[in-house]
Amino acid sequence: MTSRRDFFRYAGVTGGAVAISAVSRVAMAALPEPVIQTRPDTMPPLVPDSGTPYNPVVTLNGWTLPWRMNQGVKEFHLVAEPVVREMAPGFKAHLWGYNGQSPGPTIEVVEGDRVRVFVTNKLPEHTSIHWHGQRLPSGMDGVSGLTQPSIQPGKTFVYEFVARRPGTFMYHPHADEMTQMAMGMMGFWVTHPKARHPLIDEVQRDFCFLLNAYDIDPGSYTPKTMTMTDFNLWSWNSRIFPGIDTLNVRLNDKVRIRIGNLTMTNHPIHVHGHEFTVTGTDGGPTPKASRWPEVTADIAVGQMRQIDFVADEEGDWAFHCHKSHHTMNAMGHNVPMLIGVDHSGVARKINKLIPEYMVMGERGMADMTEMEMPIPDNTAPMMTGEGPFGSVEMGGMFSVLKVRRDQKPGDYKDPGWFKHPEGTVAHEYTGPLAEPARFKAEGGQSMPRVQSPAKVTEVQVRKPASHSGH
Amino acid sequence: MKRVLDVFRGRLMLSTIALAALSGCASVSLEQQMAKVNDETGPFTDGRLALARTDRERTQRAQTAADLLKAPVGQREAVHLALVNSPALQALLARGWAESADAAQVGRIANPVFSFERMVAGSELELGRALSFGLLDLLTLPSRQGIARRQIDQSQLRLASEVVDQITQVRQAWVRAVTAQQTFAYAQQVLTSAEASADLARRLQSVGTFNRLSRAREQAFYADAATRLATAGHQATASREELVRLLGLDETQAQALRLPERLPDLPKQALEPDAVGSLATRGRLDIRLAQAELQTSAQAQGLNTFTSFTDIELTARRNTRFDNESGTKSTARGFEIDVRLPVFDWGGLQRDAMNARTLAATNRLEATLRVAGSSLRESYSAYRTAYDIARHHRDEVVPLRKVISEENLLRYNGMLIGVFELLADSRDQVSTVMAAIDAEQQFWLADAALQASLIGRPTNTTLSVNASAPSGGGAGH
Ligand SMILES: [Cu+2]
Repeated sequence: MTSRRDFFRYAGVTGGAVAISAVSRVAMAALPEPVIQTRPDTMPPLVPDSGTPYNPVVTLNGWTLPWRMNQGVKEFHLVAEPVVREMAPGFKAHLWGYNGQSPGPTIEVVEGDRVRVFVTNKLPEHTSIHWHGQRLPSGMDGVSGLTQPSIQPGKTFVYEFVARRPGTFMYHPHADEMTQMAMGMMGFWVTHPKARHPLIDEVQRDFCFLLNAYDIDPGSYTPKTMTMTDFNLWSWNSRIFPGIDTLNVRLNDKVRIRIGNLTMTNHPIHVHGHEFTVTGTDGGPTPKASRWPEVTADIAVGQMRQIDFVADEEGDWAFHCHKSHHTMNAMGHNVPMLIGVDHSGVARKINKLIPEYMVMGERGMADMTEMEMPIPDNTAPMMTGEGPFGSVEMGGMFSVLKVRRDQKPGDYKDPGWFKHPEGTVAHEYTGPLAEPARFKAEGGQSMPRVQSPAKVTEVQVRKPASHSGH
Repeated sequence: MKRVLDVFRGRLMLSTIALAALSGCASVSLEQQMAKVNDETGPFTDGRLALARTDRERTQRAQTAADLLKAPVGQREAVHLALVNSPALQALLARGWAESADAAQVGRIANPVFSFERMVAGSELELGRALSFGLLDLLTLPSRQGIARRQIDQSQLRLASEVVDQITQVRQAWVRAVTAQQTFAYAQQVLTSAEASADLARRLQSVGTFNRLSRAREQAFYADAATRLATAGHQATASREELVRLLGLDETQAQALRLPERLPDLPKQALEPDAVGSLATRGRLDIRLAQAELQTSAQAQGLNTFTSFTDIELTARRNTRFDNESGTKSTARGFEIDVRLPVFDWGGLQRDAMNARTLAATNRLEATLRVAGSSLRESYSAYRTAYDIARHHRDEVVPLRKVISEENLLRYNGMLIGVFELLADSRDQVSTVMAAIDAEQQFWLADAALQASLIGRPTNTTLSVNASAPSGGGAGH
């Protein structure tokens, strides 16, 4: 009974989370009530009120799953199910996930905890959960066919093991893995150290998120699960910029960010304004001697990186994957480069063939031609995000680290745009301009060609502009 | 025969006048003729069929034609224009009238022959006066008048049928001319689009974004479009000239002729087979023409059995004799009947010929009846199919293509596809629109044919299948 009450309380703590009671009471009698999250926002940290205390993590655009203590065992209930995930305002994806969201909730435990996880399969196909990186009995490793039968639709399985080593982990299916990961089934797992650990520093802010990628045709909702390389949505916790929350910290906080990569390519994650060190991998804390300062950490496929730094520079600092295509949303890769070419009106002339024909008929289409740059339904613009100085022209794996003097401890609210001190913002130079001396030394060659090209082409590039004139 | 002769006796002169009046009934005036044909052709002529005979009438018609040419000429107006303007049609009417007049002649009685003789023998002077009629002429007059009326009917029906044919030709020529003009306008639009993209490709090559190959590929569509435009241009001219000829326009009128930009919208509903059936059975020209032919022939045969056998001539004679010697005058009155004796020619050949003619007419009627149903079914099928296809284009094919085109534009806006992918899609759009225009043309041609078939001038159009086969996915990836 107590545990029941705990659940409702946790449900309150985690914002939009609600307890499901639709499942038969009898069938679920022995199970902890599953908690469902209905919102895609970053939820406040779930401070533990049972078991060993620890400093909880904040899951970017995610949440931590409440548990119940059952005779000293931490019991969680994951429900694998189809979900509708808002990947950015105005763009919803039909994914598979856990407990109402993709990724699933973060599971937080303490080193040495005995953990029991109930997994109910509400998917239309079998599944399993692999506890990526954990030390556990082989039979609990969750590889369907190899270490267990798969969990058939409608069935509930129980996993039980001791969280033996502290660190950062993930969980994901190991049954029809390609489909299920492409559909967004994954989640985070943090095992906090039970006592002070020489290689694990105490931090004030502890963020975590997973890198994932989807291929959703513009105008559609469901990922194409057979895609291998040509993904068009690069996301953090199944969110794309400008749908990704900012990381808000207090000046001089010690900040930890844990990042796991479940996409099919590597991501060089880059922080502006600060140097960090990689203090842990999925294998645990790194030895101090192996740590060096850097500003970009490449996170390979299936890897986990834990980076620590002191946020000692106030401001709004970009935080993103350094592959420029990964800070874009869906885009065409066969679009000709029109920079420097006047193409105004061309598209309109080309595309009016049918509408004009229709106009000749009874149906007027005038309203359609004058619409302002509409894009397909349920499609996030390629690059967007309005900053204080204009468009950020970003998408995908991009967010902002906000360091503020007056951010209250434990407060994760967005403080708004940084108020730059007088004279510290780059600005237009209005003084006299001297023509820079150009040099003609470039274009040398080790030896002359046998035949010279017929004519020398010089390419002139003008300022980039996106499609205009329609 | 006795009775007939009694009738003649004593009332000869009176009867002659009466008969002359009677025979007048089988004559036909132009006005009646036109009214009849207008009536027969109903919606085809809208009662506007008229033969201009006076200068005043001709001026009036020229004025009407000029008025009609002031605005774009629709299908109805084109027909009206042909009716008031086409010399060929006028010639047709005049010929029809001539035929009817000839037919009327059959129902008239031959003029009586008056003979006068003066003979002197010695002192005697004899004056002989004789008035002779073809007695058989008189006796068979009613039946010959019947024949004349049938022949007039026949010639009017034939004329009506020819008028229907002419008007159908005008209607179809109008449809072709409008379509060709519409296609030409569209081809110009296509060329503009193609030009824009070819131009862009050239610019891209000039700044180094495109290579020669890519540029040439984009230019190919432009080249195609130019060819298509040239063909469409000729087609527009040719079909317009065909219409000009059928309307009988002179040089100035031809220049003034403007056509609507596009074919009329499809009717909300196609004619249902039941409606067509009931329309068709009511007074089909071809069947009635065959019927009239048979009746004429049958009646002529009845008459012929008698006339081929013999000929009778009745003569009223009055001889006055003057005897100068005795100073007396005596008058002798009497009748004389000449009968041609069928000694050598019993008229068998004539009767055989008439028999054969009637037989032919009977069979012709039967054939017409049988053909009428079949050809109407074909006409209706062509009409209905063309309607369904045109509607399918309007309601399904073109809107689908439009959705694709709009969605592609959205993708272009979102930089998901490039401008040349839009272009690739526009090629599919072009063939879809062309096919849609063609489908409408087929419908209106079939419609005109069906109208003609319904009134009894079986006309069939061949439906040409011109399904647009867009290249599936089109642009995008
Ligand atoms: Cu990346």
